[in-house]
Amino acid sequence: MATLDLQNIQKSFGDAKVLHDIDLAIRDREFVVFVGPSGCGKSTLLRIIAGLEEATSGKIVIDGQDVSRDHPLDRGISMVFQSYALYPHLSVFENIAFPLRVAKMPEPDLKAKVARAAEILQLTDKLKLKPGQLSGGQRQRVAIGRSIVREPRVFLFDEPLSNLDAALRGDMRVELSQLHWQLDATMVYVTHDQVEAMTMADRIVVLNGGKVEQFGTPMELYHHPATKFVAGFIGQPNMNFLPARVCGTDTAGVAVEVANGPTLTLPVDPEGLTPGDAVEVGIHPEDLTLGDGGMTMKIHVLERLGGQSITHGHLGGTRICAALPGTAPIREAEAVELAVAPSACHLFDARGRVARRRDALALVA
Amino acid sequence: MMDRYSRLQTLVIYAALAVFLTFILLPFVEMFMVSLRPLEHLFSTPYRFWGDDFSFAVYRQIWETVPLLGRYIFNSIYISGMVTAITMIFVVPAAYAYARLDFPFKNASLAIFLGVNMFTGAVLLIPLYRVLRTLGLLNTYWAMIVPGVAFLIPTGIWLLRSYLEKIPRELEEAAFVDGASRLYTLRRVVLPLAVPGLIVVSVAFFIGAYAQQFLFAITFNQVREYQPLPAGLFEFIGYQDVTWNEMMAASLTGVLPVMVVFLFLQKYFVAGLTAGAVKE
Repeated sequence: MATLDLQNIQKSFGDAKVLHDIDLAIRDREFVVFVGPSGCGKSTLLRIIAGLEEATSGKIVIDGQDVSRDHPLDRGISMVFQSYALYPHLSVFENIAFPLRVAKMPEPDLKAKVARAAEILQLTDKLKLKPGQLSGGQRQRVAIGRSIVREPRVFLFDEPLSNLDAALRGDMRVELSQLHWQLDATMVYVTHDQVEAMTMADRIVVLNGGKVEQFGTPMELYHHPATKFVAGFIGQPNMNFLPARVCGTDTAGVAVEVANGPTLTLPVDPEGLTPGDAVEVGIHPEDLTLGDGGMTMKIHVLERLGGQSITHGHLGGTRICAALPGTAPIREAEAVELAVAPSACHLFDARGRVARRRDALALVA
Repeated sequence: MMDRYSRLQTLVIYAALAVFLTFILLPFVEMFMVSLRPLEHLFSTPYRFWGDDFSFAVYRQIWETVPLLGRYIFNSIYISGMVTAITMIFVVPAAYAYARLDFPFKNASLAIFLGVNMFTGAVLLIPLYRVLRTLGLLNTYWAMIVPGVAFLIPTGIWLLRSYLEKIPRELEEAAFVDGASRLYTLRRVVLPLAVPGLIVVSVAFFIGAYAQQFLFAITFNQVREYQPLPAGLFEFIGYQDVTWNEMMAASLTGVLPVMVVFLFLQKYFVAGLTAGAVKE
């Protein structure tokens, strides 16, 4: 289908700069998710790709062709909106057929295309209904149907699942991933939900404050976050950050003394770190284990999910969270001894930059 | 749904409604009562609300006293209808532009429209007379239609603009991404969704035009055949006496067709509202 390149995209609204030098190369048939907190510029970036907003500077290149000034139609994109943006007065058939009607497609071709889209999305028996008579998930599928009939080069999705309830969202995630397989298309998907990003994306763009924090596969982001922001954003529950101090660097890595915790020698590149530096050790909750590792956590809240026990508490003055086994013999208001493998730790300097981890974990990419 | 009001609250609400409706409707009742009795009984003392000599006789007489009455009623509806139609043609695109497009002096011009609204037609009668004379429109239907349209456009833009603004922008963006032009989007997406709003606005226009036409008719038009009903009612004022009963009968007869139309439209209006509400 198509490659999509963003070259030095900048966007300002008046004095407020919302996007700084965005440079991304999205491959053909890739499913890329833009993720970030609200206000990070992800929706604006998507709207710029769509042609609904104009970038202050920079280029959008689709299949090697500069489309920065083109109408959405000529860009060959289609978009699914957060609110679905279905036309309430038109039937499902007419909603899906809308782009074809605009293009004045002859009736037989139009019917065939709508029928095919309806079949892919299991809407065949709903074509005569109005959007108001459909459930949330079905409306979502109609919106997708409208975007696929035109056979665009790039599909854009703007938080399409945020209006659905949790259970339905899980189902639609699977359906969207399947659709990506079926259509074999380049897709760009915006969400603030890191679970959606992790589960669906081939690669994820983490945006923060209008800048790209990291662009990589879900597993790269999880195992090798480039910044503290990415580390804190990816993974559920969120990563713990423990204040620490560098006490020595050598060939084995960096030795750090964790406040109220053990001294660990982390196998990371010591570049730029000197003894005495204040740093933070990042540990995924699921990397904390029961055992005498020199960390005593006071448990405040225990969430037993069956398979896991999500344990919230304090280590000294720092809030931490541990994902312990479901049957862990622990109780609220008690203390528990925790341990962590040094190789599972991430190290961030005072400015939030990561020290490169040496033990390259086998990446599932 | 459960009853939201207690018995007492319901009682108070209905009592207030009754007072309000009495205030609004009593003149109509009185008009109707007057139209039912012979003229001489109207001035008898003591005045009686009820009499045994009621009859619908005047409803036959009025057509003889004022032979052009039918024509006047038609004129009223024709003028108001034309004013409504023409105003809509101007207001729909203007309101859409104010709701969605950006252009220089947008807010300033809106404020000017509002300012113009503060003048009543009466203040501008003389200048308007001169304008209409220059254009050669005096003593035609247009003498009553053109000023009517002019005075309703500002209100119309304000009313319809706020309605159009409530239509989700994403719907138009979706149409834009799919290659639809502004006009296509207006026709296929915006206007169908705005139908309840369009009805409200056109009803407001019609009523406005109906109320305005008297002033314009008596100043800009001398031709009897073009007079609307309110002006035509003057013919019931004779040299010696005013046939009040016939005048009331004629007024009611003239208002009746309009009332019937509104009763019908009101149903449609409610249906339109609920049809729009299902979309979210």
